[in-house]
Amino acid sequence: MTPAYAATPGGLLLVLAVMLPAAAALVMLVLGPRHTRVVALIALALGVVVALATGLQLVRSQAALIYVLGNWQPPLGVALRADGLSVMMLAVTAVVMAATGLFARELFGLDLATADGRLATSFWILLMGLWSGLNLVFVSQDLFNLYVALELLTFAAVPLVCLDGRGETMAAALRYLMFALLGSMLYLLGAGLLYGAYGTLDIRLIASASHHGPAMAIALALMIPGLLAKAALFPLHLWLPPAHAGAPAAASAVLSALVIKAPVFLILRLVADIAPPGSAAVAGQVLAVLGAASILFCSVMALRQERLKLMIAYSTVAQIGYLFIVFPLAGVGDGTTPWGTIAWTGGALQLTSHALAKAAMFMAAGIVAEAVGHDRIRDLGGFGRVLPLTATTFGLAGLSLMGIPPSGGFIAKCLLLTAAAIGGHLWLALTILAGGLLAGGYVFRVMDRALATPAQRLALQRPIPLRLEIIPLVLAVLAVALGFLPLAPFGLLQIGRPDIALAVLP
Amino acid sequence: MSPAALLLVTALLAPLAMAAGCLSRAFRSRVPGLLWLAPLPALLAALWLPAGTAVSFPVPFRMVLALDQPGAILLGGAAFLWSAAGAYAASYLRGKPGLTGFCVWWLLTLAGSLGVLIVADIAGFYLLFTLASLSAYGLVAHEQTDAARRAGLVYMVLALLGEAFLLFAFVMLAAGLPDPNPLIADAVAALPGSPMRDGIVALLMLGFALKMGLIPLHVWLPLAHPAAPMPASAVLSGVLVKAGVIGLVRFLPFEAPLPTWGAILAIAGILTAYGGAALGVAQRRPKTILAYSTVSQMGLVAALLGAGLAAGDASAAGLAAYYGLHHTLVKGGLFLAVGVAFASGGARRWPVLLLTGLLALSLAGLPLTSGALAKLAVKPMLGYGVLSIAVSLAAAGSTILMLHFIAVMVRETADNPPSSAPWGENLPFLIVAAASLLIPWWLYPTLSGGALASGWSVASLWKLVWPMMLGVVVFMATGRFAGLAGRVPEGDILVLAERQAPRLARLPAAIEGLDGRLRLWPVAGFVLLGLVIWLGGGFLLAA
Repeated sequence: MTPAYAATPGGLLLVLAVMLPAAAALVMLVLGPRHTRVVALIALALGVVVALATGLQLVRSQAALIYVLGNWQPPLGVALRADGLSVMMLAVTAVVMAATGLFARELFGLDLATADGRLATSFWILLMGLWSGLNLVFVSQDLFNLYVALELLTFAAVPLVCLDGRGETMAAALRYLMFALLGSMLYLLGAGLLYGAYGTLDIRLIASASHHGPAMAIALALMIPGLLAKAALFPLHLWLPPAHAGAPAAASAVLSALVIKAPVFLILRLVADIAPPGSAAVAGQVLAVLGAASILFCSVMALRQERLKLMIAYSTVAQIGYLFIVFPLAGVGDGTTPWGTIAWTGGALQLTSHALAKAAMFMAAGIVAEAVGHDRIRDLGGFGRVLPLTATTFGLAGLSLMGIPPSGGFIAKCLLLTAAAIGGHLWLALTILAGGLLAGGYVFRVMDRALATPAQRLALQRPIPLRLEIIPLVLAVLAVALGFLPLAPFGLLQIGRPDIALAVLP
Repeated sequence: MSPAALLLVTALLAPLAMAAGCLSRAFRSRVPGLLWLAPLPALLAALWLPAGTAVSFPVPFRMVLALDQPGAILLGGAAFLWSAAGAYAASYLRGKPGLTGFCVWWLLTLAGSLGVLIVADIAGFYLLFTLASLSAYGLVAHEQTDAARRAGLVYMVLALLGEAFLLFAFVMLAAGLPDPNPLIADAVAALPGSPMRDGIVALLMLGFALKMGLIPLHVWLPLAHPAAPMPASAVLSGVLVKAGVIGLVRFLPFEAPLPTWGAILAIAGILTAYGGAALGVAQRRPKTILAYSTVSQMGLVAALLGAGLAAGDASAAGLAAYYGLHHTLVKGGLFLAVGVAFASGGARRWPVLLLTGLLALSLAGLPLTSGALAKLAVKPMLGYGVLSIAVSLAAAGSTILMLHFIAVMVRETADNPPSSAPWGENLPFLIVAAASLLIPWWLYPTLSGGALASGWSVASLWKLVWPMMLGVVVFMATGRFAGLAGRVPEGDILVLAERQAPRLARLPAAIEGLDGRLRLWPVAGFVLLGLVIWLGGGFLLAA
């Protein structure tokens, strides 16, 4: 029998992507607080190189990268696999992580007393934990391995939320923890069911089974809501706004830009790779309804927020909604291959541009809060005059969220809208347009304050160094630069798709 | 790249480069004095380049620029007004706060509004249209008064709404074509056969009518145009509304007649022409009156394009552009005139008011002015039936509105101390006024197809004069509408809508309440369970 997985050259890079941050976290524990920052920055630099090498290897081989741990084939062993979408996620993660690292270094460096303090040290270790978990989610093929990755993410993300130790953020973090655990339990239940029915936890092997019984239906019905709870899609978003708004700016950036994308990525894999076509179509419809509701409902909520960070947090829930309306637009579950469609590309671009724009926006909000001492939108009149670069960052990131050209968000929205128009999904098209309008509303509210000329110049509580302002600006410019990508399906996303087993289960 | 192509590209990039230059501190301090230079490449392109000049940007910048006759006519007028208004702005805003910001928004709006006249691909059109729309917010809200902020808010909401209409229309327009970013001409050629034709045309008309200010989508115009500083009002009213005109010209399929849609557009245009004049007469402030006059004039252009669409006559495009050129120069000149007249007193006041009056009556079609030429040129397109009479009556409305404007100007400037506007403001005004009187003569033979003299028969003159006489008689008979002034608030029906705002705000409040409930633990738990059951049931049924 030919093995289900054959390791490819470059497969070791996937192990490196997961292990590098984990090793860095261990080294930090060993070397102590005074060296955490340096270790983290070195790990970030190496991690970017690894992501780059992975991307190069994928493009060169035009096939998915595979690594079989210890050369033990599933179902006994565990396989790592990265196709085009995974590599894209690895790359986005590396870019946002690197930017966050640089941003955090400057932010903590503002106050020399705390630069190497408890808060900063915990932050660096948790950041490495997050990164390792994220990378594992993007490359793992094993449902239990993925469960471990999700738990790692949760346990790294929750302390990040309450890093400052205030009662308010502790409550938010606990809320997050409880709900994430609820989600994990549901996921684990589903994974257990699948193991009982198929005798394997390998995604590819499960998918290639010839017959799917009710166990599959029940398992998916448990796992998908469990993951939705972690992704905070409406109406399961109860924990996200206080958690993301309460976390320190650098942490909010990764939480909003990356962490909630991990469960979304897994839902995508479950629906597109494992679910039998009938179930995939049902799941697609349900997820699209929730996604559309998320876009409309949470955009209105964002419009009504008094505080800048809460507004951005609600905007995250709204923007995540776009990722879920991709399912029916790409025709998931109707027998065609979704990954060559414009909707699939649109979804991937939405994911990327939102990650960049939202990270930039949270960092900008952090700078404003740091400089002005609060983030009440009403009282920010004229912040564009004292922090012109930060206001520009906010505006550029806002362009991408609103879907105004030229920006990655525009291309994403344009592709999704085209798919909706061609497929005759009028209600989805209207949702996309309405979401854009509402996003315009909440971005405009802030920009209006930025451009205002109040009689009294806004007082800065502390000077903001240029280096700090540049980092989010670069992210926002990247989000806008995505707008120069062609309006067509990407080849990259089709590499390694579909995930077909070389041998069918005996 | 050929010199012609280079000039076309420079027309678009020069103002953008100047806006980028404002990052440099040294350039920033000089930029107000250089504003008048920014549109000059576009002006040269409009004057020198032959129609048909085209240039494609290299990958990844998907944009194609091309010059055609209607585009060139509007481009020339727009660039001319931008240049004069830029010179005026340098003098008018000297030493005022926020000048650099104003210049950046000015240059971005300039680039967008000129670019939209020469861009040939759909994505590029949307990009530049958006650039012009959103950047103009900076001009509208510049003065930061309560009125300016309200105008800016209304402007922004409606501009974004228009963007949404257009985006959906463009996406549907491009959906059936092999190229994801087709040339506008190719997409429009395929439009009559598209299964989504009616939806596309309806959305296009809505989106562009919003920009032109056709009733009832005009509400932002009488708020935004008066709220901006004087030179910005001139370009907003003179140039920016033409983005809607060029949109209709480019995107409506004039080669294939669409009688129903043509009729709808023509009727909306005629109603706007009357409505704009009627609402304008009830206004007190000169700039608001001019804004309503813009609404009314754009109604006439829409009627003209509607007639062309109904008949499948592509020459409507050139004629609409010609009428647009006349309106650009005259309306721009009038806004500058308001500024100059407000600064002039004593003996200086009367020459300014006289020239202002001449420009104003040009809008009503005073013989020998550009308005007369424009009206004569478009007459054949309107036919000799009901539409023609309706348009003539609209000229009577324009006459009344402009007489009202002149009366208000005379009254408002009566107490000015003896002084004169600085030459930095007088000169641009005089140049625009002179251009508005001269340039249309030069283009008339090419566009109307007839010699200049042919328009000067007694019959043609009579066609122009009787509506004006009617207007004068009505104006006098009703006692100059003195009782009406101030009766209608600026933005008319918007005020009614704003009264409903508390009721509208209930929905978001309800959503907020619902959000609060959804974020309770027991509710969230039930929702999660409900999702599991919903999905599980769905999967089991599907299997």
